[in-house]
Amino acid sequence: MRLLLTISIILTILPSGCSQEQPAGAVSGSTAEITYWPAPNTQEIELAETLVLAWNKLHPEIPVRMQPIPVSQSTEEVLLAAIAGKTTPDVCSNIWPGALHDYTQAGGLVSLDQFSDFDSVVNSRTPRELLATFQSSDSHYYQLPWKTNPVMMFYNARLFREAGVDSIPRTYSEYLAAAKKVTRDIDGDGEIDVWMGERDIRPIWWQRLFDFYPFFIGASGGSTLFRDNEVGFENQAAIDVFAFFQECYTRRYFPKTFFQGGDPFNLEKKATNFAGPWQVAQVQKFAPHIKFGVVPLPVPDSHTGPVYTSGDYKNIAIFSTTRHPREAWEFVKFLVNPGHDLLLLRIANQIPVRGDLLTNQIFSEYFAQNPVMVSFARQVPYTRGMDAVPDLQEIFDAISQEYEACAVYGRKSPAEGIRDAAERTRVIIRWNQ
Amino acid sequence: MTGSRLWNSMRPRGRNGYFFIIPYGAFFLAFVAYPLIFSFVLMFNRWNIVTPMEWVGLKNFLRLFSDPLFYKSLRNTMLFLAIHIPLQAVVALGFSLLLHSRVRFRGVFRALYFFPVVVSGVVVTILWQQLYSFDYGILNKLLTIAGLPRIPWLVDPDFAMPSIAVMATWKNVGIYIVLFLVGLQNIPAELYEASQIDGASRRKQFLHITLPMLNPTIMVIVVLSTIGGFSLFIEPFVLTGGGPMQSTLSGMLYIYNQGFYFSHMGYAAALGFAFALIILAVVLIQRKVIETDRTA
Repeated sequence: MRLLLTISIILTILPSGCSQEQPAGAVSGSTAEITYWPAPNTQEIELAETLVLAWNKLHPEIPVRMQPIPVSQSTEEVLLAAIAGKTTPDVCSNIWPGALHDYTQAGGLVSLDQFSDFDSVVNSRTPRELLATFQSSDSHYYQLPWKTNPVMMFYNARLFREAGVDSIPRTYSEYLAAAKKVTRDIDGDGEIDVWMGERDIRPIWWQRLFDFYPFFIGASGGSTLFRDNEVGFENQAAIDVFAFFQECYTRRYFPKTFFQGGDPFNLEKKATNFAGPWQVAQVQKFAPHIKFGVVPLPVPDSHTGPVYTSGDYKNIAIFSTTRHPREAWEFVKFLVNPGHDLLLLRIANQIPVRGDLLTNQIFSEYFAQNPVMVSFARQVPYTRGMDAVPDLQEIFDAISQEYEACAVYGRKSPAEGIRDAAERTRVIIRWNQ
Repeated sequence: MTGSRLWNSMRPRGRNGYFFIIPYGAFFLAFVAYPLIFSFVLMFNRWNIVTPMEWVGLKNFLRLFSDPLFYKSLRNTMLFLAIHIPLQAVVALGFSLLLHSRVRFRGVFRALYFFPVVVSGVVVTILWQQLYSFDYGILNKLLTIAGLPRIPWLVDPDFAMPSIAVMATWKNVGIYIVLFLVGLQNIPAELYEASQIDGASRRKQFLHITLPMLNPTIMVIVVLSTIGGFSLFIEPFVLTGGGPMQSTLSGMLYIYNQGFYFSHMGYAAALGFAFALIILAVVLIQRKVIETDRTA
């Protein structure tokens, strides 16, 4: 099924790669046309249309043709198929860092640090420490950090108030104490009506991007899964995270069930949700009556310092099939100037990877109008991405299997679960060498 | 007539025949022969779709023999078959016997039992997900109303695969009812008349006429169910993702995960080859056992 999908994607992409059709605003007879693929969601398409129109007016000699990424189960699938079919665009702004290794291994991307002004562009925008996390193992940069969706905790203010939770939980103990009050059968029919939280209990690898992974980054003070290409999660921080979720399921604060009919947070069936800024738009659209707040994820009781989390980063890259790398780089710089980062906030409600979101005057009006987004902007410097290692999905699958056995079903102790996940990760790395 | 004359005399008709089989030939080459040959080549290579293939010899098979998840998926599939095949055969035979007798609205019932077969597997699975839901499912609501404890249909490693087997039986039983009905209609009425004259009871008629005469149908059903059972994919993919604790990780789901989640096309091809050999062996054993029974 997936193979057919891949073939259909290649077929979808092929015409676009070969097409001679002129885009709106493009100049005929041009020698440096750039093809740009943004994410296929409505807001980002609107943003891309606005930006491309502005670019084509300013630079008629380098017309940009915008085409949303062909819709599929994931962007990564489409891009891999495009690389295989040599039909990649010049520029794409939906690059997931976790898949970057596959693209670079295939020789699919242009190293951006070859451009003389790369350092000045990125240093003026992204904190140095954060930027370093996007460097590939060959010391080059193949991606420009563009936007992030830090995973934070949403809470339903009414459900908290009605349950008698006065202060928003910041630690595991506080969260569990609040959960004891919040999780309850309101109408006395023997069924729990409000849960403290809920996660998809199926052992699907990417589900861990919204529970174990951001919680591990938080508990470890900003570490990711690997350190110097060695397993870096066989430690107390990871054990604490497994233990925390095990408590949530053992004490029945999280259900072992599948909700249908909509997001249980929007339906007010759960009081907290671990999600990124996309949830803001979701709540405002589908449940505008809900009064909610956004705070950093809970951390172990002994935690000190800032609370880190993971961010669903989406970055910009130039594909090596481009015939105009310099012009493509000029367009990339255009996409990330402060004015256009403001458009990213306004149109797509997504957070640019900038260190000056709360200090640069250009953004102040937006944050005054959207105070809930301030929490996400504050979180940006303390948000981590993915390790640039191969087989990341299979490694997350290994963690997912142990998370399920330990946290959801309590069949293993947290220490055993982490030990086995780490051991299987080493086996995966060995197998695939 | 010499060989060449014979060939010449047959040629025009032969050519026409070839022309008519072109559509199937093209389909066969594109969707059967080519994938088969390609997957055979893949078994000895490492390939992630993007980078060029890399020859690894027997490494994929060495991994397979030491991979605990391969054995786990095999055990899960066998457990599914052990529940699904007898359950399906018994339920299908029971309903087909009822529908073969003179009951009112027979046509309506036949259509009703066949209905789940034509409904999309994903739709059926989502429907059963609601029935099986631990906290809010209808089945558990009925149990709690009756004062009984909830059953963890899909959230307990011991219950999940049997639950899926029951669901798969509900989904597929219609087609096997039709097969049994065809088999029942082909049994000569004289056999029943003769046995009636000899004083045979209904039970004896069933055991000594109906069942033996249905043996070829049972064989077909067992083989089809076995092959279908080894293809178990949609149900665990949608319902459980292979969990809880890999208890519903079927062979097909594991191949899918390796191929399309982790881009290990070579290893997925090796797994596919291993499962194909296992299916062949199981079907051969089944044929041997069932056909021996008939002749006994």
